[in-house]
Amino acid sequence: MKGYLPDSAFIPAHHMPAALIDLVQDQGIDTHRLFRHTGLFPDTLMRGEARLSPQDYLQLIHNARQLCPDPELPFRYGQRLFPGHYGAISALLGQAGNLQECLLGFEDYTALISPLIGMRITRSQDYLCVQWLDTCGAGSHWPFLVESAMAGLTSVTQWLSGRSLPWQFQFSYRCPPWPEQYQVHLGGPLHFESCMDAMLLPRGLVDIPWPGGAATGWNVARQQCHQQLQQLGFSHSLRQRLYRHLQKRVTAPPSLQEVAETLGTSPATLKRRLRQHDCHYQQLLDEVRLHQAILWLQFDGMTPEQVCRKLNFSDSTNFRRAFKRWSGLTPSACHKLLQALGE
Amino acid sequence: MKNLINRHRSTLVLLVVFANLIVLANLAAGDPKDWQELVWLDIAGEGGAAMLSLLWIALILNSRPGGRVTRMLVAGLSGIFMAYWQDLMDEFIRLPESIMWDHWLESGAMPLGMVMLTIGIYHWHREQQAISAQLLRRERIFREHRSLDSLTPLAGAHYLREQLRLELGHAHQSVALIMLDLHCFDHSRRLLGPADSDRLLKELGELLLLNLRQQDLLCRYAGDRFAVVLPGSGQGEAERIASELQQLAHHFAFKTRRGESHFIRVQTGIAIAHDDDEASLIERANLNLARSLSSCQAA
Repeated sequence: MKGYLPDSAFIPAHHMPAALIDLVQDQGIDTHRLFRHTGLFPDTLMRGEARLSPQDYLQLIHNARQLCPDPELPFRYGQRLFPGHYGAISALLGQAGNLQECLLGFEDYTALISPLIGMRITRSQDYLCVQWLDTCGAGSHWPFLVESAMAGLTSVTQWLSGRSLPWQFQFSYRCPPWPEQYQVHLGGPLHFESCMDAMLLPRGLVDIPWPGGAATGWNVARQQCHQQLQQLGFSHSLRQRLYRHLQKRVTAPPSLQEVAETLGTSPATLKRRLRQHDCHYQQLLDEVRLHQAILWLQFDGMTPEQVCRKLNFSDSTNFRRAFKRWSGLTPSACHKLLQALGE
Repeated sequence: MKNLINRHRSTLVLLVVFANLIVLANLAAGDPKDWQELVWLDIAGEGGAAMLSLLWIALILNSRPGGRVTRMLVAGLSGIFMAYWQDLMDEFIRLPESIMWDHWLESGAMPLGMVMLTIGIYHWHREQQAISAQLLRRERIFREHRSLDSLTPLAGAHYLREQLRLELGHAHQSVALIMLDLHCFDHSRRLLGPADSDRLLKELGELLLLNLRQQDLLCRYAGDRFAVVLPGSGQGEAERIASELQQLAHHFAFKTRRGESHFIRVQTGIAIAHDDDEASLIERANLNLARSLSSCQAA
């Protein structure tokens, strides 16, 4: 299976995008202006035939933010997203027997449920870490996607589990001048400027059974999701596929040439495709290494020296310089910051 | 624009007809001036003034609901427009000395229009006083239309911080802040659907407003959380008002679109200002709210 590109038109406009369209329409805003440059028309949307590419979807988000510059927008949009009525994937979420089974939907079927923002799950001894990853080069809309995804996951897990879960929230960016939106819509401890966009939950809550769980229905829904992905021909974006490939080999990263061979394409094509995602190979590799370093520092109790050795840096000065370039922080400052979060 | 034309078709048609009649009357009675005789500075000045008064008419019609005050303002501005319009015609057309109606139009329409405009503005002022009285508990000290929340007609968190900063500037009086949050609103939202849950917030806002004192201020902090500023109140009074608001919400039978009653519960968190700034006051109120939430869930 290959990965989808920012211009692959496969997202049914009446699924996730419709949540945003309805929300903006509720504010009394004209749809013509909302649909500008998205290639979307009211009649094809209503017939259920319209398919958006990730690029179009991002344009729709851009228009919505222009027309409705309310900081509450991403949160309200996120709260309407899941489990949704998107066919098999919604059935899978709705019948999940616990958090693990719910998150599996997001992790394995990104193309069906959350095409613009992917999920990386890390299980440490104490915590479950749900990290959000850019799949298609969101640029300035990244905070919007993070906020909607976090609000969505918080809301759907509370709804399906029948209790509010004590999530903690970590953001890579600085707290904007509207902290109240995060406090009220997400709740929980909020940590801004903390290297990654992630949600943490005590490990023990992952397997607690949910009231609406139905094993048979869940299994059938999972198979149907699988069939849908077979028809589409992909489950994740090309950027995300490459991220996952590099993640597995983070201690001895392959060259661009090798990666291209594994993906069955030429280095030139791979480079061009990555450019479409608004990134390049080295940048993606740096991102993977930074994320891995953070996870090791935060959850595996490693020191910056151990991380440096594990990532195969020749000496600590090189590692320091590289880490500073990736994150803006020195490894020891980042270590200190992440240690403080755990307390 | 289309909307404006549709709503005020008759007013606009009347204006265009009058303007045309003036042009025709001038053409019929007088002779056009030569090219060299035209004074361009006067034409620009008088024409510009006529166009501006037209623009004011459009803005007034577009921004105000119909009614006596609007009619008065538009009639006044129309008079001013007619006077300038005739003035402009004079620049292009020479009327014989014997004709007097142009003087009447120029010197009569202007003062008449001004008088009507003045009466209109006076009534507008009275109307504004009535509206301000209604808005009192939503605005408190200053007006800022940009900070209005898009969902409920209340001000948001930014406005709350500004107001608290002003209140805390008066060192001599104590200020109390109540944070009020709906219990399990996430659950209600999924049960009611987006339209009804938005309306629930709006109606709860109205209800809370009715039960506050003249000097209090209600804002929507974010989501389903409201903030009440109580100037000059101490712990005891704040607790009394908070419990009144809780009871009030408890008895509020919100009606869904299907006509069913939906009941809600609210939690409150109170903070009294002890020489702290607005951010720490808000933080303490939120903290107390979180405490009452967790004790409520444990129970």
